[in-house]
Amino acid sequence: MEDRFELVRGTADYPEILEMTPSPPAVLYGRGDPAGLRPGLAIIGARRATPTGIDVTSTLASWAASAGYVIVSGGAYGCDQAAHRGALSVLGVTVAVLGCGADVAYPASARALFDEIVMGHGVVVSEHPWGTRPQPWMFRKRNRIIAGLAAAVLVVEAGLPSGTFSTADAALAAGRTVLAVPGSVLSPHSRGSNRLIREGAIPVTDASDLRDELAGLLGPPRDALTPCEHVGGERSRDPVLSAIRATPGRPDDVARDLGTDVVSVIRALGRLERENLVARHYDGTYHATAPR
Amino acid sequence: MSPQCTVRTGTLVGVQTVPVDVEVEVGPGLPSFTIVGLADTAVQEARERVRAAIRAAGFDMPNARVVVNLAPGPLRKHGTGFDLPIAVGLLAATRQIPHSVRTGSTAVGELSLDGTLRPVPGMLAFAMWCRDTETTLIGPDVVATNVAIPGLDYRAIRGLATLKNGLPAPAPESALTRGERAEECDFADVAGQDGVIRALTTAAAGGHNVLLVGPPGSGKTMLARRVPSILPNLSDEEILDTALVHSVSGHDESHVLAGQRPFRAPHHSASVAGLIGGGSPPRPGEVSLAHNGVLFLDEMPEFGPAALQSLRQPLEDGVVSLIRAEGRLRFPARFSLIGAANPCPCGYLGEPSGRCTCTPSIIQRYRGRIGGPVLDRIDMQCHVGRPDPKELVNAGKGTPSAVLRDIVQAARERADARGLGPTARLAGATLISACSMCDATLRELQHLARAQMLTGRGVTRLLRVARTLADLDDADTVGLDQLHEAMSYREPA
Repeated sequence: MEDRFELVRGTADYPEILEMTPSPPAVLYGRGDPAGLRPGLAIIGARRATPTGIDVTSTLASWAASAGYVIVSGGAYGCDQAAHRGALSVLGVTVAVLGCGADVAYPASARALFDEIVMGHGVVVSEHPWGTRPQPWMFRKRNRIIAGLAAAVLVVEAGLPSGTFSTADAALAAGRTVLAVPGSVLSPHSRGSNRLIREGAIPVTDASDLRDELAGLLGPPRDALTPCEHVGGERSRDPVLSAIRATPGRPDDVARDLGTDVVSVIRALGRLERENLVARHYDGTYHATAPR
Repeated sequence: MSPQCTVRTGTLVGVQTVPVDVEVEVGPGLPSFTIVGLADTAVQEARERVRAAIRAAGFDMPNARVVVNLAPGPLRKHGTGFDLPIAVGLLAATRQIPHSVRTGSTAVGELSLDGTLRPVPGMLAFAMWCRDTETTLIGPDVVATNVAIPGLDYRAIRGLATLKNGLPAPAPESALTRGERAEECDFADVAGQDGVIRALTTAAAGGHNVLLVGPPGSGKTMLARRVPSILPNLSDEEILDTALVHSVSGHDESHVLAGQRPFRAPHHSASVAGLIGGGSPPRPGEVSLAHNGVLFLDEMPEFGPAALQSLRQPLEDGVVSLIRAEGRLRFPARFSLIGAANPCPCGYLGEPSGRCTCTPSIIQRYRGRIGGPVLDRIDMQCHVGRPDPKELVNAGKGTPSAVLRDIVQAARERADARGLGPTARLAGATLISACSMCDATLRELQHLARAQMLTGRGVTRLLRVARTLADLDDADTVGLDQLHEAMSYREPA
């Protein structure tokens, strides 16, 4: 258990950035390297995210992490875990803030991910003592720490209503910058993030947006942020890919919109899936992904 | 020596007919009527029916000690089909009807109190046994059309009174008369589901099992119900095999005899015995009633785990083996499985309304209920979405089932020409060579296996579906197109 630490408020090791929030936790219990608790970028989004949301999350997280910024998120399914995976994929430092004790794997399937975070010089932290079991109310309260440890909060995919909003509110209360990834006006999964933009959040559509914001808030990037331009990659001549990028849907929808037969659409989608340009959601719809 | 007479009949063990000799002795002693030879209650009650029927038909019930022995002794006999042979034995022993009636014939039927003859379950099984052993079958006339199989000498009688003048003339020998298949359901009525129909056509062509996933009201049941309409016509032998199961379980077999493939949709509360067969005496279950047809399991995750796991043997072997105290029974069970499931317990996952409240872990648990071993035997998964309302005006303009059936038939003939058995059962080296992929396709397959983390079984399922798709395209080799299309019929990650 040598990787465990406890940081008491008022001591030198306690993260300075948390002191500047409305209600900082009295003690931070954590696993890993406490040096990871420096100001970072929080990336959050829905648990039930679309493949697009998952993919955009991990792409943005890997960009920011490879530029040397710390990623902060929760431990839930969907966008939270995708953010950590994105950061880990480029050996970046990432911080998971849990609603239960920092040594409790919740959800249980995330145990391996949390261990990987700790081994990769990241941190798994909580304000609750060791062994605390998760309770529903803890997660909303925990959101203020996610916002508090970050200089900016990036909302990737949030529907309406959404728990993600409480983190955005906490970010505003702590005076943090709120960033959001816009989505299709037709997608219920992006209704929340689009609304945040209307209410003043800064839209992030490509690497330079993200780099400019982070450089201003956290200092210049360690490496030149991958000059990879738009999250969606190059414009495509493939009508099926263009159709899916415009509106996620089933092969039947695409075939109807393009006026072609469904078999050629199924085959095209199979090929695009193999090329990692689209992904199939478990409701049978295909969504565009960020190319790598 | 007291008057004796032996009449041949049979009893059902599973779908097999086992011959039974009914020995009747009318001897001296106090008047009585006894049946011995492991007879169940229904057989014991034959005494009252036989007594009444003999009198009603204008014969005399002998005022003597009547003993009926059913041989072989150790075999358990059940059912009401023994009424007729007992009555015939009794009447022949007392010389009220000519002895010639019983020689070389098998008698089966239940008597009513007024002397008329009723059919019993399994008349077709008796008919097939008589055809194979070249004996004459005496039975009720109401089932004459259902047992009219080529090569059978069937003597239909209305009641006991008919036998006064000996056996009636044989019914004119008939071939299996099959009318035009009159399917009530047609894929032409389905609008906006071309993707699913493509998947179901593929499943029908290759004999693949398929799982349909979609929200309530998306038309899963409606689509599955139409699958028998695109399956190829049954062969004469398949018709008899299938009708036999329906006959012994007391179901009306006339639809099957008319060439219609069975469609069975048991409710998800079905027990193991109901699904795969059982009970006492053991009767065929739903999987056997779906023999050569479609077994549709709606709400598949709601079935009991024991019931679902019991499907493994029939899915693998095409037969059900039941081990019982009486011995081992085999029921045929070669069917196409179509499962249906909601995408999540509440059913609304992925709906734009956002009504779904299921958490990812609940969804995972719900999907896990079907269980790996059964899912391993389901080659294809397909999502059924609610069709766009705009499409509904096109109902009735889809591709008719008859056209799809020709496509399926052509693909099946192509697969049969390989001589390797059904595509859905290919595996290992045979499957690889049947696909005869070029180097580029093989490389693509290896890439897919790595990128999608496919297991050995996953690759097998992918290739089987790809092979069937190539058959539908009338292609000798599996190419990239087929591989990519087959990918979209996998379960999503």
